[in-house]
Amino acid sequence: MGQPFEFYSETGIRIWTGIKADNLKSLLEAVRTVRGSAIFYHMHHSLFRRHFTAADYMNDFARWVLLNQSQEVLAEKLASIDPWEYNTVREVREVLMDYLDRYIGEGERFQRVPAGSEFFFLEQRSALFPTGLVAANLKEFFSCLQYASCSTFFFHLVEARLRLGRKSNDFSEWLGNSLGESELAQRIASISPYQYNLWGIREKVLSLVGERLADAS
Amino acid sequence: MHLEAYEPVVGSEEIAEIRALARHLRGLKVQHINSTRVGGGVAEILARLTPMMNELGIEAQWSVMTAKPAFFEVTKAIHNALHGATDLVTDSMFRLYSAEAMANRDLLDREADVVVLHDPQPLPLIRARRRGRGRAIWRCHIDLSMAQAAVWGLLRPMVERCDAAVFHLVDYAKELTVPQFIIPPAIDPLSDKNRELTSAEIRGVLDRLSIDPSRPIVLQVSRFDFLKDPLGVIDAYKIAKRSVDCQLVLAGGSAADDPEGEKVLSLVLERAQGDPDIHVLNLSPDSHVEINALQRSAAVVVQKSLREGFGLVVTEAMWKGKAVIGGAVGGIRNQVIHGITGYLVNTVEGTAFRIKQLVANPELAQRLGEAGREYVRTNFLLTQYLKSWMVLILSVVKRRTQGVLELRG
Repeated sequence: MGQPFEFYSETGIRIWTGIKADNLKSLLEAVRTVRGSAIFYHMHHSLFRRHFTAADYMNDFARWVLLNQSQEVLAEKLASIDPWEYNTVREVREVLMDYLDRYIGEGERFQRVPAGSEFFFLEQRSALFPTGLVAANLKEFFSCLQYASCSTFFFHLVEARLRLGRKSNDFSEWLGNSLGESELAQRIASISPYQYNLWGIREKVLSLVGERLADAS
Repeated sequence: MHLEAYEPVVGSEEIAEIRALARHLRGLKVQHINSTRVGGGVAEILARLTPMMNELGIEAQWSVMTAKPAFFEVTKAIHNALHGATDLVTDSMFRLYSAEAMANRDLLDREADVVVLHDPQPLPLIRARRRGRGRAIWRCHIDLSMAQAAVWGLLRPMVERCDAAVFHLVDYAKELTVPQFIIPPAIDPLSDKNRELTSAEIRGVLDRLSIDPSRPIVLQVSRFDFLKDPLGVIDAYKIAKRSVDCQLVLAGGSAADDPEGEKVLSLVLERAQGDPDIHVLNLSPDSHVEINALQRSAAVVVQKSLREGFGLVVTEAMWKGKAVIGGAVGGIRNQVIHGITGYLVNTVEGTAFRIKQLVANPELAQRLGEAGREYVRTNFLLTQYLKSWMVLILSVVKRRTQGVLELRG
């Protein structure tokens, strides 16, 4: 038996990078140079802010390109980027740049948006803290999950994996490595946060763990 | 109001997390300084925020500066200039403002870990701060996007002596050498403006205001001001009414001390004349339960502003599960996600179209309203605001504005 699982949560505030873009060309240049934490915020954190609106374009880049640049084709392409398919923010940045670069091509004229409608690059300044929930086995894990907030699920399933560069999500890593529950770990790892909202993810994880507990008893 | 009172609203896990985070701020001394204890959004929020921080073990205090009436005349001119008006702020006015603010230097708690200066009024006090002792934050509650350059230029050096600046929206941020955090304002879900009301309470309000509860109500809550475009709302309602049965309620504040407000009210009454289904309500500033009841009974809420700050009135309506038709300006754009929590509009005709659409389709209005409520729950409630303040304080105290703050234990 390995280390117990300590549930963390994260909460944050936004900070302006000082960078903004007012057309597609400046958007591309900014995407090329901003810190990875800004890419993470605009690609992934919109999931948390608008998690109940799964039908909407989930990332901020796609939404801005659609609403402020009226570029439907490009917006669709940007919206199709599933960060879950990439292990690092750097890879996501490269895909973004690739789509933008190809779309812009050799063009020389780029429509500027009025002041106030620019794309402002933000970062999330997060505090990560222990919630006090700790699990030593699968039964305790299930019990703790029922008290865990959406922020906790977001951190352990999305943020920890992508922003902190871990191989898989925290739940799957612990279940597989500490409890030997490799099949359960794999089933949880296959949940894409872009197919469900956070409540749906919560219910799905609870359901999978509950089923496993029932099988084991 | 104790934190536990918010459990039914945000869930026990959210309150547990607030307490878990607050353990890392226990014993920190935070001093808020502004210029009034009553009236206005800043006083309202500090009245809630300060006791909540104390309940969590943060030694928070709220200090109010004093000054001569001439000081407030100058700060009114500064306020107007920062909003883009042509008010003049002369050198002598600025000297008076600085001197009067500095006369409050003894108000500063030298032992505070963080001093928060709210809006321009106490900002000169930053000059009295001893470097190396504690941190200072400038919390701006004003829309600076159209600020007069000359007046902003007078304030900027003082802002840059702080350790951080905070704005409601990134649109208000300026070119500064200090980190700029974005923390939107929040509503208190347990206040009279936002708490749950019984059917009897709602009916009682509608009866007193002679509004028929059996027919759809289209509501705009705003002071009588050209920038809120009440005349445009009436025009939109008249177009919509050709297709759907509805009533219009324009609920505004008292215009007794605002000459322009009286003029707008007069024009509104003239435009509404002859239509018994248009209700123009000039309510007193403390009509919180009335506004609450009107919002809860509305079929559709309109906020057809031509210019808007954050727009907490939109947040209030969304919290009540109402689909909002909002002008595509200011903070309304950050709250109304087009097609998801409501609709953004730019014209009278567009407003009329959306009114018709939502009055004729209550299921659609309900779906948009429910999404709006959840959006507010996640982003714009007082509990989230409290968490934001705690992260801000930790960031400034630990002098880390990049990366993740990992708190252990």
